[in-house]
Amino acid sequence: MYRNYLTYLTMSKFYAAESSSDTDETSSDDDVPVTSTRSKAISQKRFLLSEDEEETTHVVLSAKEKCWEGLKDIIKLMQNVKKIRDMSKLLDEFENITKFYNKSKAVILKEGIPRFYIKILVETEDYVNELWQDKEARKKMSKPNSKAHGTLRQKIRKYLRDFEKEVTDYRENPDVDEKEQAVPESLPSPDKSDKAKMFLDKPLKPANIPMAANDDDDDDDDDDWPSDTSESSDESDEGGIGGRQLTADYFLKKTVKDDADEKSKRKDRGKEPRDTKKKKEEDNEEWEQVRGFGKAKVTLFEKDTEITHEVVMNKLNEITINRGRRSTIRKDQVELLKQLRQVAEDNKLGIAMTIRLTFDLIAGLFDYNSKILDCMKPEPWNDVLGYVEEVIDLLLDNPDIVVAEHIAVESENVSDKEAGFRISGSPVTLVEKLHSEYIKILQHSDAHSTEYVKHLREEVNVVNVIKKLKKYVEYIGSSQNICNAYILLIEYVYYKYDHKAIVKGKAAASEDKGNEVDEEVEDPSTMMKQFCQYIYAKDSTDRIRTRAILHHIYHHSLHDRWYEARDLMLMSHLQEMIDLADIPTRIIYNRTMVQLGLCAFRRGLMKEAHHALVDIQSTGRAKELLAQGLLLQRQGERITPEQEKVEKRRQIPFHMHINLELLECVYLVSAMLLEIPYIAAHEFDARRRMISKQFHHQLRVSERQSLLGPPENMREHVVAAAKALKMGDCETCLKFIINDKMNNKVWNLFSNSNAVRSMLEMKIREESLCTYLFTYSQFYDNISLNWLSSMFGLDRPACHQIVSKLIINEELAASWDEPSSSLVLHRTEPTRLQNMAMQLSEKVSTLVEINERILEAKVGGGGFQSYRQDSNYQGNRTNFQSNRSGGQGYQGRSGNSNYQNNRSGAGYQSGRGYQGNQSGRGYQGNQSGRGYQGNQSGRGYQGNQSGRGFHGKQSGRGYQGNQSGRGFQGNRSGYHGGYLGGYHKQGR
Amino acid sequence: MSSTEPVVKQVQIGGLVVLKLIKHCEEDSGGPELVQGVLLGLVVGETLEITNCFPFPRTTENSDFDEVQYNEYQMDMMRSLRHVNIDHLHVGWYQSSNHGNFVNRAFLDSQFLYQSSIEESVVLIYDPLKTAQGCLSLKAYRLTPKMMSMYDSKHFTLETIKAEGLSFNDMYEEVPINIKNSPLSNMLLLKLKKENPVPEKVEYLNLSHSSSLERQLRLMMSSVDELTQESGKFVQYQRSAAKQHQSKLLYQQKRTVENAARAQRGEPPLPEEDFNKILRPIQQPARIDALLAAGQVSAYCDKVSSFSTQSLGRIFMAQAMDNKD
Repeated sequence: MYRNYLTYLTMSKFYAAESSSDTDETSSDDDVPVTSTRSKAISQKRFLLSEDEEETTHVVLSAKEKCWEGLKDIIKLMQNVKKIRDMSKLLDEFENITKFYNKSKAVILKEGIPRFYIKILVETEDYVNELWQDKEARKKMSKPNSKAHGTLRQKIRKYLRDFEKEVTDYRENPDVDEKEQAVPESLPSPDKSDKAKMFLDKPLKPANIPMAANDDDDDDDDDDWPSDTSESSDESDEGGIGGRQLTADYFLKKTVKDDADEKSKRKDRGKEPRDTKKKKEEDNEEWEQVRGFGKAKVTLFEKDTEITHEVVMNKLNEITINRGRRSTIRKDQVELLKQLRQVAEDNKLGIAMTIRLTFDLIAGLFDYNSKILDCMKPEPWNDVLGYVEEVIDLLLDNPDIVVAEHIAVESENVSDKEAGFRISGSPVTLVEKLHSEYIKILQHSDAHSTEYVKHLREEVNVVNVIKKLKKYVEYIGSSQNICNAYILLIEYVYYKYDHKAIVKGKAAASEDKGNEVDEEVEDPSTMMKQFCQYIYAKDSTDRIRTRAILHHIYHHSLHDRWYEARDLMLMSHLQEMIDLADIPTRIIYNRTMVQLGLCAFRRGLMKEAHHALVDIQSTGRAKELLAQGLLLQRQGERITPEQEKVEKRRQIPFHMHINLELLECVYLVSAMLLEIPYIAAHEFDARRRMISKQFHHQLRVSERQSLLGPPENMREHVVAAAKALKMGDCETCLKFIINDKMNNKVWNLFSNSNAVRSMLEMKIREESLCTYLFTYSQFYDNISLNWLSSMFGLDRPACHQIVSKLIINEELAASWDEPSSSLVLHRTEPTRLQNMAMQLSEKVSTLVEINERILEAKVGGGGFQSYRQDSNYQGNRTNFQSNRSGGQGYQGRSGNSNYQNNRSGAGYQSGRGYQGNQSGRGYQGNQSGRGYQGNQSGRGYQGNQSGRGFHGKQSGRGYQGNQSGRGFQGNRSGYHGGYLGGYHKQGR
Repeated sequence: MSSTEPVVKQVQIGGLVVLKLIKHCEEDSGGPELVQGVLLGLVVGETLEITNCFPFPRTTENSDFDEVQYNEYQMDMMRSLRHVNIDHLHVGWYQSSNHGNFVNRAFLDSQFLYQSSIEESVVLIYDPLKTAQGCLSLKAYRLTPKMMSMYDSKHFTLETIKAEGLSFNDMYEEVPINIKNSPLSNMLLLKLKKENPVPEKVEYLNLSHSSSLERQLRLMMSSVDELTQESGKFVQYQRSAAKQHQSKLLYQQKRTVENAARAQRGEPPLPEEDFNKILRPIQQPARIDALLAAGQVSAYCDKVSSFSTQSLGRIFMAQAMDNKD
């Protein structure tokens, strides 16, 4: 606890020291402008850097410190205010501190109520009460002050009731706290003084050393100052250690380390001479101070001090205090920690101590990079990997050591074996960090270089560490930790195609389970299953569960387990909730959807494939949505550098990418197989909807070309194939889809490419048969099945099956003539002209409707609109008309009934006209089977009528046309809606 | 611009002009674009005699043939014609059109320009498709005085249209055409006919309706679409206008109540602000487009109906002949 307080104090001193040295420098440097500007620049730079730090360094560990510091700030203010007896201010501050206390309750719960907090509360209460008793003083107070005084007194009393126990505790022995309080002020022990000195010294150093990392070039400076170095180190030996004894064995024992330190120290110092060259005199003090610090580093411990747990812990505290401070040089910290650890090991302080120190060492290494964007260098990362592995190994070997995040630093126990070791820290977090650093390293290296491959090789080690972690947490950890470990492992497994399992599965199937296959734990599928199920059951954070589900689906679809994948997707209802998730999860979701679509495609489920892929493909930003590359332009605007940075961090490492061309090709082919037959079947449907906008776009692009060469790229191939398919020319289509070029570019990317190709061939043959029948059936009276099957390369049963399906679905008006095994086509499709007439009548009817609306606004006002919403609108409407104007209404109605008569009475006005010639009575009869078509023919005729009616400006007749059109329209829109709904549902 | 009845009652066209016109259209109308040209002639009494014509050069999109060059070309052409002593008075223009799809804004604009500078001018519409089927389709049109005055005002709001009492079928009127050959050419024709007689070919019962009917229907559909769109616009306008009216009333009401209150308190009433400043009046959609679309639809309807009447007649004839067998 006091450690923090110390920090606080030293911080302020540090500022003081720095500012004084700065002024020192500038004043003395007048004759050397270069160095002065330099030092200025340096200090500026440091400021910038530290700002970065604040943004990016790990906050979690300093949460407690932050909170304590905040509290202490306020306490200090309170004490000041007390001195000047400003009651209203004191009240404010009191409220502030309680507020702050509530805000940081989470930390406090974990760490326990800080004693200084209780202390300030008690003190304030005493103070207030004292004042309260002092009547005279009270009288002297100003009005607002005395008012505040009263409220504060009551408030404090009330507030303290919550802390009764602690308060009595404190009142019983307040001296403990007092002692602690005294520590920073009096600095009694030599050890402490050394420490304080170190803090005092420390800030000075970085002022002179800009970058510890890149001062190798300064080595030559050392030559200029060789004597100085040795000399000053001697000096500092004396200055730094002061009255301590210098025993010989100290030097002997530590020479190696000394050397190493000397080196780094020299490097550090390399800069100094430059700055101080011209001002040795003034700076002599500084020199010494720096030396002192350097010495402190070397002499971690005085040699004859017994290296005990306590001492080491103190040292560790010293070192870690500086973590995240702007003045700290991270490299030095790492070095220090390494040494400390060595010392601890040398002195056999126990494994717990080693673990404790390694934790800090790892943290130090992670801190090495101040910016989140940059990745770690591979070397430190490898170090970290080693350390993490070591820690986990140690933990595995020593299950009696309790390591947990919730253990406060104060309550750690690394010395007393009997009481059980307790260490603060979380191996899971460490490994997670390791993992994210690894990903970062991959993101930052060029995906096409050998370097990347080199990094990739490290994956095995990472996975090993994770597996060890898994073992550890399974043994000891909470379920949440297990979940965390599992998801880490899953993240390394889910995207890998498991060839062995496929081969094995085939073998098992063929040998019909004769010899049982060894179900190792290593089998990714079972592993995935086991882990995911654990996570589904035990996880308490949605995030991990969502990810586990997505990875699981991904894994399923990668291995062609379509139904499992689909069911899992549907059961999890992720589609509805994914918009609420964070962006990385959404990226995973996108990847999963794509994989699902590819899986459906491989299974020959074109519709499903299309639905799964349409969202990703229709935006044209697949690259961005899958986080496989940056799109520097978004809607014509360049993205800002900040956005770019953020996006860069989200990128998926290259080896996990999904091939975008494959994706697009699969999408286009599935769209083609859906769209072309659909177009052929609904050639004259005015309400035809595009299934795939993108596919249409591609078609249009190729149509716009004045000269069409042979297809070059994948898209052109697909478009050319689509054109062939349109003509029902399956062989040409096949040639375009499956050829060497496409094989190389696309199909070979599938693991079971041959199966996919044969599936595709089958699909294309089927769809071209359908398309052919839709397009050209009107020119045939009958078609022999043999001929069909030979034409499309399908065997007879398959052919029969497809055509029968069309007939059953009422897509093709035909029937089988079994004896001759031929297809008899019924001439039912209306001719082009009739179709056009129908469309026209529909259009006219909408026109009339709109025109009526114009009229309604004039005549009827709002009443009509409410009518419109009624289902029996039609009836109402005639009423309305007759209401509106008797004559007209009557006309309208009579027109209506006339129309009805016409229709029911054999529909045969048209029998006389040329229309009759076209449709004929037989035609009508045929149609009557399906009311819908009958309706249509009526409509067509009527439409013609209405066209003329319009021309003749007879509202009665125009109205008539409208009526018929409307009736039909209602019918259709119902149908349409139903279809849409179904369509969408399937899409989900 | 006088709104008196136009003097010209009929148009007389020389056979040569018709042939030239047809030749130009047939030669040039390879693409979808229309061909245009200038008519020359003079007014004699109540008859507009068109005695000559020359084509406009075809413009492609990327040629830099601008307005000025156009005019220069016209002037040059007419000057040259005068040199050879041919009628050079500008009396109108001609245009080819498939199935009569000529009623649009551009047509209106240019015809208005012609008619406002040369009162007697007409436009000849030639339909190459129809002509290809065997009967010459050549029509002369001009804008009605009503239309002229409305177009002159440049305001195509409902009010002006109402004031003019204009409807879609009196935007333009047809002028009867009379094709006249000079006696000399008549003689030539007779002679030619005698020398190589036209082979007797009976195509009375040709029902080749579907393709051209289809095309006409398609055109009609697009115009109906346009009309629907225009009507939709108008409905929207109506609705928003009504809404605005409502809010205006509300505002006025509030203002009067407030003023009454102020009057009671003895304060001066709030000034009557210009309502238009508070709520901008909504732009009325130009009705001219709707009118044009309606006119176009009506033109198509006429065509289809005449076409089907012919076809029906043929069918009946065929039926009768069939029965006889």
